[in-house]
Amino acid sequence: MSAVAVPADAGERVLRRVAGFGRVLRARGLEVGPRRVQDALEALGAVDVTSREESYWALRCTLVSHHEDIEVFDAAFAAFWEKAGAGEDGALEAPAPRPPDPEAPTAPGDAPARAGVRREAVHAAEPGGDEDGPEDGDTAEGMAWSAVERLRELDFAEYTDDELREARRLLARVARAVPLRRSRRLEAAPSGPMLDKRRTMRSAMRTEGTPVLRLARRRRLVPRKVVFVVDVSGSMGPYARAMVMFLQAAVAGGRRVEAFTFGTRLTRVTRHLDSRDPDRALRAAAQAVPDWAGGTRIGDNIKALNDRWGRRGLTRGAVVVIVSDGWERGDVDLLGREMRALRRTAHTILWVNPLAGEPGYQPLAQGMAAALPHLDLLLEGHNLHSLEALARVLEALPSERGRRAGRAVVRG
Amino acid sequence: MARSVEQLTGALGERAYLADRGLATVITVALSLRKPLLLEGEAGVGKTECAKALADVLGARLIRLQCYEGIDVAHAVYDWNYARQMLYIRTLEASHAAGPDAVKDVFGPDFLVRRPLLDAIDHDDPTPPVLLIDEVDRADDEFEAFLLELLSDFQVTIPEIGTIRARERPVVILTSNRTRDLHDALKRRCLYHWIGYPATEREIEIVRARVPEAPERLAAEASAFVASLRHLDVAKAPGIAETLDWVAALLSLGEDELHPEVADATLGTVLKYHEDLERVRDHGVERLVADSRRSAGAVARGG
Repeated sequence: MSAVAVPADAGERVLRRVAGFGRVLRARGLEVGPRRVQDALEALGAVDVTSREESYWALRCTLVSHHEDIEVFDAAFAAFWEKAGAGEDGALEAPAPRPPDPEAPTAPGDAPARAGVRREAVHAAEPGGDEDGPEDGDTAEGMAWSAVERLRELDFAEYTDDELREARRLLARVARAVPLRRSRRLEAAPSGPMLDKRRTMRSAMRTEGTPVLRLARRRRLVPRKVVFVVDVSGSMGPYARAMVMFLQAAVAGGRRVEAFTFGTRLTRVTRHLDSRDPDRALRAAAQAVPDWAGGTRIGDNIKALNDRWGRRGLTRGAVVVIVSDGWERGDVDLLGREMRALRRTAHTILWVNPLAGEPGYQPLAQGMAAALPHLDLLLEGHNLHSLEALARVLEALPSERGRRAGRAVVRG
Repeated sequence: MARSVEQLTGALGERAYLADRGLATVITVALSLRKPLLLEGEAGVGKTECAKALADVLGARLIRLQCYEGIDVAHAVYDWNYARQMLYIRTLEASHAAGPDAVKDVFGPDFLVRRPLLDAIDHDDPTPPVLLIDEVDRADDEFEAFLLELLSDFQVTIPEIGTIRARERPVVILTSNRTRDLHDALKRRCLYHWIGYPATEREIEIVRARVPEAPERLAAEASAFVASLRHLDVAKAPGIAETLDWVAALLSLGEDELHPEVADATLGTVLKYHEDLERVRDHGVERLVADSRRSAGAVARGG
């Protein structure tokens, strides 16, 4: 079968078809810019285009760069090339192109810039370069101080939509908190355990080859990975919105943050939330999450986290923050087992429970009780104030090995 | 360098690397477009082997850079041999021979320690080398940003010596186990290919090619057994590398087919987690062996 059958002189037509296919992929969320389309055309030139299989692979290796996107690509490939294979160009009408994407690919210089932003974010206190998020000083912009205070203490469940929007700026600031760890990478230091041979030698050149100054290096502090796992099931309804906003701010902060949501099943939303435009990010995440307000099977979801992501190292050495009310509708023993497994790879496990904000709260929900022995800390999370407490805990986590013993409820 | 997908598949096959049509096509495209190729997949599916076999096919030198956390320019590109520099200076001093050229000498090629990336750029091989950047997901953001620069310009700058540009670009293969997502910018530089677990028939062929002394029956039964483990919800599914290890282990014990007791005793070569071993034993090794022997028989009859 030769779905991509192309006469040798039909260069123009191939170009239009491949560009159309690129638009289809873009409409389905793949990052396909003009450069990729160009690569795809060249790749087609390098293979036997009368072979459907070779054409498929040539297009796939140039237009896809995420394993998660392969499924989407396959569906689009089948729909676009095979259905239209017998027909003429007219049959290949792609959906209307979307407005240009500000974060579209191609600019080769943009990666070092992004890396720069990441580095900057390590020092959250520094003035953020091109951060368009709220700066430390202007969180209260447009809001009277008393209103900010009120929002801080107000239970998320009682927020109006407007208040939720206002709270976003405050959430963004809280979401910048980041635990640190010692990296294997070395940095120059006034003193330290390791000799910096390069700098010592250079400075020795100034003293006729005698190393007068001995310069040192030490292991640098870098942000520790934080994995948020947020329950968006029905019982979390009023809190889930605020929590997902918090997640978005944390992910868009550009640090090493991974975000998952779960109800009946676990969904990784890191990539969907990674946009500077919070509204767009939240829309993308909402589309990706199939089970808003469904039931909860926490154990199954922690198991999915361990099996699908943990084994590849995503949770290794990470601070895992689980946000859930602990109402387990599945197997409670499974939850206990999987929490134990998670604890073996994670550096710290925190559990944020909105219900823990209620006076006299006892972790009685079966799921909560099963998970409790495996937690480092249980925190409340019903209002901004308590999320600020979470931020403080994250920042205070030790950079070296060693566990915190406490399992107390930390109140804001 | 133009060669067809069939030719490449054949040439890799002669080196006991059995590439499927997809991988062979993608490599052909990468060679023709002169773009780096990013191979992703679970551990043990043959990403690194692929680069080795390709270098052999091309008659090129394989230069391997193993990434790890904390890798930096001094480990990956170049460094100076400080001890030697110091000795040289001392010798010059002792013989009162230190002249104006001494500094130039000290920071000259004689004292330069060439690391893999410099080696791959500054080569004078008749055939450009194959540069394997292994497990790039283990390196950090800064190193990734550096790689991005290197892979767009294929040049490195050493302040004391100058800028060195590749006479002919090396063939670059990056591998990642996906312990984290790479930057999109880096991915955009590369062609992308996902290597999954092979179908059982293909895995049997791979075992036969890599462990030629293994009888067909053993190869088929072990491959079927491993394939069923991958479906059994284990935490760390075994890769092809594990199948090959296992077959080699069984051979060394003088086995020519799969027996439940020996399979059980050697299961540690395939499953590396205590929980996984327990889960499989709970499921019943005997049952799995029986199933594998049956399906291996079916494969043998079928083709």
